[in-house]
Amino acid sequence: MSDTVYLYSAILLLALCVVLCRTGYLVFGHYFPLPPKLRSALRYAPLAALVAIIVPDVLPWTVQTGPQFDLRFLAVGVSVLVFLVTRNALLVILSGMLALWSLRGLLLLF
Amino acid sequence: MSDLLTPTSALHALREQKRAAFLLGLRAIAPGLVALTIWGVVTGVAMSRSGLTDQTAAAMSLLVYAGSAQLTALPLMAAGAPLWLIFAAGIIVNLRFVIFGAALHPYFKDLPWAKRLFIGYLAVDIAFVAFMPRFHDAPRKGTLEQHWFFLGAVIPSWFLWQVTSLIGISLGNVVPESWSIDFAATLALLALMLPLTNTRPILLSVLAAAVVAWVAQTLPLRLGLLAAVVVGIIVGMWAEAQQSPRGALR
Repeated sequence: MSDTVYLYSAILLLALCVVLCRTGYLVFGHYFPLPPKLRSALRYAPLAALVAIIVPDVLPWTVQTGPQFDLRFLAVGVSVLVFLVTRNALLVILSGMLALWSLRGLLLLF
Repeated sequence: MSDLLTPTSALHALREQKRAAFLLGLRAIAPGLVALTIWGVVTGVAMSRSGLTDQTAAAMSLLVYAGSAQLTALPLMAAGAPLWLIFAAGIIVNLRFVIFGAALHPYFKDLPWAKRLFIGYLAVDIAFVAFMPRFHDAPRKGTLEQHWFFLGAVIPSWFLWQVTSLIGISLGNVVPESWSIDFAATLALLALMLPLTNTRPILLSVLAAAVVAWVAQTLPLRLGLLAAVVVGIIVGMWAEAQQSPRGALR
């Protein structure tokens, strides 16, 4: 199998994975009804997914090194405070970036 | 005012309604688009660094349209892993979308299957986050407003992903890595999440998911993310039951 055929087959298979997983229930869900309680509980899925994307970036650890402290954790703390005061999405992003940059600057000074 | 009843103005009103819903969806997903922009560039850079030609990389971003699946598959493809393994990995990385699809089903179940296929293919994480909390308690599911809100969230996302991936593929890192601009993507997700974390069951569910995601982050194929979603759902259900045994209060 040539390289091009291999790469394009892999890409098409990945696209198939995405289509199967994202559209599977939407297209065939009629045949798999869920209990109403469980369906209502799916409301908790979006934020659980979101926090699960955020956490490893802010509080990383690896098997080799164990838990690692990252300044990003403090910067997220600043962002949360800014959110509680202002409720503004743009300020949450800006304050977190500024906090990270200034904390790093401080560390360089000392 | 009587001309409101003529067919053309009724049509006009319908178009206005769709446009308004589309814009609401776009507004709801706006912080997510900041994250998507950064991920698009990062994924584009990763694709061209892994040795894909620009053409193959562009085809991948256009067809696959799933950042985490693309990033997972790149090292496998570079190593020439068997195709069945790439397929299996792709399925596992995308399993959370089966749960998302089940949650979205009530809103789109009456559409023809081709439209459901189209809607589902575009249903990325941030669109799900923008859509579900807003319409979870809607008494009627499957309204025109809900459909156009969803389109307003997913269509700009698709175009933005393609543009930013192409920027990453062709220009490489536009911003020096020392600026840690990728952190802005994390902060954008935080900005999307915080205003929606507004009830006790949701807060408990988010905290539980965070703990699971922290512990399970070294698992391969984003299994930690899947586990966090499952635990988040279970804890949310439990907290809801604690708060109101008959489900009367929320």
